[in-house]
Amino acid sequence: MCEAQEINAEHKDLIHDVAYDYYGRRMATCSSDHYVKVWDQNSEGKWILTSSWKAHSGSVWKVTWAHPEFGQVLATSSFDRTAAVWEEIVGELPGPGERGTRHWVRRTNLVDSRTSVTDVKFGPKSQGLQLATCSAEGTIRIYEAPDVMNLSQWTLQHEIQCKLPCSCLTWNPSLNRLHPQMIAVGSDDPNPTNGGKVFVYEYNENSRRWIKLETISSLVDPVHDIAFSPNLGRSYHVLAVGTKDVKILNLTPVDDEQSAQSGVTKLDIETIAQFEDHNSLVWRVCWNLNGNVLCSTGDDGSVRMFKMNAINSWKPVAVLKGDSAQLSHAQYNSISITNGSTSIPFSQTARYIKLGSISQSRETPWH
Amino acid sequence: MSTFFVVQEGPVNALALNKDYSQVAIGGRNVFKVYAVEEDKFREVCNVRGSKHLNQGFSYNDVSWSPTDDHYLATAATNGHVSVWNLTKMGKAMQEQDYQDHKRTVNKVNFHASEPNKLISGSQDGTLRYFDIRLKSAVAIFYSNTESVRDVQFSPHNSYTFAAVSDNGGVQLWDIRKSEKCLQQFTAHSGPVFACDWHPEVTWLATASRDRTIKVWDLTGKPTLERTIHTIGSIGHVKWRPQKKYHISSCAIVIDCSINVWDIRRPYIPYASFNEHRGFPSSVQWKGDPDVFLSCGKDSTLYQHSFNDASRPAAKANPQGSSMNNRGEVLFAKKNSPFHNIASSSSSSLTKATVGLMRKISTTQPIDQFHDASSTLHHITYVNEAVNDESQNFIALAKNYVLHGRSISELCEHNSTVAREFGKPHIAVVWKIIKTMYGEEFMQNSVNSNNTSRDEPQHNNKTANGTMGVLPVENVNNVRDAETETNCKTTNEAQTAQFSGGDEETELEDQVDNSQSYNGFPTYLNIGTGLPKGDFSFGENELDMELDSINSGDCYFLDFHTGYRGFDHVNSDDSEYVLPNEAFPVRHEIKDRSPPPEQFPNHHSPDLSEELEMFQVEEISPTPICVTKIPKKSMWDPSSLVVEALRHHANLGDIQTTACILIVLGDCRRFLTQLDEATQEHWVMGYIEMLTSYRLWNIVTQVIKRSWLPSVYQLNQQSTRINTNCGNCTKALQRVGWLCDKCHSSKYGVCCICNQVVKGIFAWCQGCSHGGHLAHIRQWMGSHKVCPAGCGHLCEYG
Repeated sequence: MCEAQEINAEHKDLIHDVAYDYYGRRMATCSSDHYVKVWDQNSEGKWILTSSWKAHSGSVWKVTWAHPEFGQVLATSSFDRTAAVWEEIVGELPGPGERGTRHWVRRTNLVDSRTSVTDVKFGPKSQGLQLATCSAEGTIRIYEAPDVMNLSQWTLQHEIQCKLPCSCLTWNPSLNRLHPQMIAVGSDDPNPTNGGKVFVYEYNENSRRWIKLETISSLVDPVHDIAFSPNLGRSYHVLAVGTKDVKILNLTPVDDEQSAQSGVTKLDIETIAQFEDHNSLVWRVCWNLNGNVLCSTGDDGSVRMFKMNAINSWKPVAVLKGDSAQLSHAQYNSISITNGSTSIPFSQTARYIKLGSISQSRETPWH
Repeated sequence: MSTFFVVQEGPVNALALNKDYSQVAIGGRNVFKVYAVEEDKFREVCNVRGSKHLNQGFSYNDVSWSPTDDHYLATAATNGHVSVWNLTKMGKAMQEQDYQDHKRTVNKVNFHASEPNKLISGSQDGTLRYFDIRLKSAVAIFYSNTESVRDVQFSPHNSYTFAAVSDNGGVQLWDIRKSEKCLQQFTAHSGPVFACDWHPEVTWLATASRDRTIKVWDLTGKPTLERTIHTIGSIGHVKWRPQKKYHISSCAIVIDCSINVWDIRRPYIPYASFNEHRGFPSSVQWKGDPDVFLSCGKDSTLYQHSFNDASRPAAKANPQGSSMNNRGEVLFAKKNSPFHNIASSSSSSLTKATVGLMRKISTTQPIDQFHDASSTLHHITYVNEAVNDESQNFIALAKNYVLHGRSISELCEHNSTVAREFGKPHIAVVWKIIKTMYGEEFMQNSVNSNNTSRDEPQHNNKTANGTMGVLPVENVNNVRDAETETNCKTTNEAQTAQFSGGDEETELEDQVDNSQSYNGFPTYLNIGTGLPKGDFSFGENELDMELDSINSGDCYFLDFHTGYRGFDHVNSDDSEYVLPNEAFPVRHEIKDRSPPPEQFPNHHSPDLSEELEMFQVEEISPTPICVTKIPKKSMWDPSSLVVEALRHHANLGDIQTTACILIVLGDCRRFLTQLDEATQEHWVMGYIEMLTSYRLWNIVTQVIKRSWLPSVYQLNQQSTRINTNCGNCTKALQRVGWLCDKCHSSKYGVCCICNQVVKGIFAWCQGCSHGGHLAHIRQWMGSHKVCPAGCGHLCEYG
């Protein structure tokens, strides 16, 4: 059963991004109203607003948390052409029995972009403190804080020109040291004749440069969101793309002599799943911690979950339908690998639940 | 209507349209021209600047076209001159008036909207001058008492009123008839106000400033701030959009080269953006039509813009946000949309239509609903849901798995039961298989194949001194191997019969329930003492059917299916059990591990001789296999399958199983030759990553500590030093403990309750710096509020 608790965020305009922190206990929201808000979950599970500040002078498109190893650090990107790094400061003198007052200070403002900064993401923590931004003019920028204790100093390490306007970006979070750093970027360019809308870049240790590995030519529709799956142990990479539908791609590094010689990874790219369940534009895709459940949201207002089963095939497992007022929930029986004796889920019972209460139940065919 | 442009010789500062919008005058550095605005281009009508009679070494800041007489233009120049031009004349005669009243740069000049021949100018010298173009000098002078006047605009609502804005952030309202004092003034901005514009319909005045805001003031009565638009860059120019009450256009002088049109009801994001200019736009004039306007800029261009070519930042904006945490909960923010129900209620058969509809909505909606943008944020949690269970299970398994300290068999057995306990029977099976393959019996085989020594006493001695696991399980397994070998063929049929149609899972569970219900780890010690084990041995094809049924269930065992032809299930029958024991002594024991048999009476060495005899008796008996010396088995190497299985789990996202098996395998990892170190590291790091996100620090430490990979175990060896200072002299303590080199005393490290030097954790009050053993202080503070040292300090927080 599913419960959708509405949080009154009190943003004065659209919320463009929400982000859980690493532990899933804090949340940051950003909005067109130029504000970023940080929320903490109290012991009853209720979200308490702990900070709210005007972060930019334009719409704040994205907000993202750094690994907690670096402190409580956020990065935001905005329509005002900047990306900013924020750090939470706990007041020096906490009153007796109270938590110190907290506030977020801007540690740096990255002003290199000449157009809207559409996405910002911290790199994998094994590489220190790195930040990638992409912009509407089609430039990807990689920044690095050489001293992780000094968040106010960031140097622009790389600038990668991408031919199309960029809308979203994702780092490959693979923990395997043999996987070079990888970034995938999506473009929301509306013209299909401009070719593939997803670009994959890799950092080449030999040339110390980022080089383009692939333009995924099968994706010609505008891409709104892109996300590498957490890779805790896979030898290949899984990329989710939110475009006019949900696509899941496997990116398998190919071991051949050519790539071994040049030091450039050759990727075997395969679209392993494509879901048109939203029947509309897909705006966001995000992964669970293990990288075996993908969550997508679309213009139909629903949240859909897809899960990889034991034979590496992806199946829809849950739909959370929403209307303008509230979310209801329809849950397919998940492909139960927890119960080894169940048979193939050839038919599913869907329950439609509105805010936790069962309104009706009926049989729906599996699709 | 289309977008087109023409390039000029220099930056253009201002433009003015005539009253029927057919012609445009532009002024700037080296530029003063009149163009006719045609359907798709600008046609040059007159180039005043190009006239060789006029030597103008200055640039024009502003141009104004008389709304009453189409022949007259006025210009404001950087040299302080205000000029009136008659377009019907030629050459020098065009310049009908050249007012040199202003001492400094003139920023703005404007014709009166209704009164012909009337002109007002605002200058850097802080004055405003009112001209009648028929007269040689100013009719009236208005002293603003500010450093400079940036903009001056006649009110369209009251023909006597005009507004002036200045560098000090102030707005002044003047009556044209009263030059001695302004009607009203107020501070509008925290920086210089660069521009203002009266709303054509309501008594609103928009002001734009270097403080990066556009403010809309209601001047009906006392000036009140209606709206504030926060912009990216300082705004140099604003103009209301005709026929759209809430729309206003703006040009920035820094950062932003776009011309933005705002809906003041949604002051956060431009309603439309025009990005044609490569330099900063300086001025905008609407062609009476809300969809067409002209602009000029520092990039030396004059543009006509059409709304069709505008970019809509808000339409491109992502209207949704979502995030999933490690408990599988989802945050979902979405735009509130009145059209939502149309989309969601459409069935899949209407896919095409829906997509079309959605497209239409996404283009029309921002227009109709632009200012009504809002989002709702939902936090979706699971109640008794599989997703949630998985994170609970992960934590439970992580906490209950035992990864070291015992033999592989024992660890596998334990972990298998733990997995079953928390509803993961398939993982339990994996553990069992690992046990079967890498438990001590496997080791036994591998050692046997390499070693022919059968010195029994030596074996006992060595095993008694063994440092590894302390389990007799291996004996049993060892025995069973022999049994398997002899029995495989003879009792095959009987064993097959046992499995006829039986559900393997069920049977296993029964077995577990009967013989070794999980009661925490200590139970396990019983397994080795001869209790039924519920273990597998390899049969021929017995379990194919069972595996098939499982496979059809969820395909989970597909990978194993090809590898294991089947498992057998040893019946826990006592007589059968004793018999294999006899085979034990002929087997050689690996040196480094094995149990001290004295702990387990039924395996005592005194029995061995007897068992040996019995074994020999059996060997002599005419069984199909007659062995005088047990032949070396040709080893079946399961490692490739194990690696494959580990990869399988890793690919599934079940890094816990993969990493834990890898850790438990211990030395057996050397058999997994296909597994490179980077992958092992990847898996262990993956597990650590997951544990970290659940804040299972102790388990993380355990995993790191047990790690065989340098890159992993080094994780715990970084930044481990904590420096402490002496409580008396605050000098850093160099030695272990609390002895200060300077004070030559450790009395400041003494526990104020027991008066002993504290070794280990010293807890102290930050207020009075007294403290002591953590346990003592905790105990004291449990019942007291004041300092135990008697200093009277209230150590406990209020």
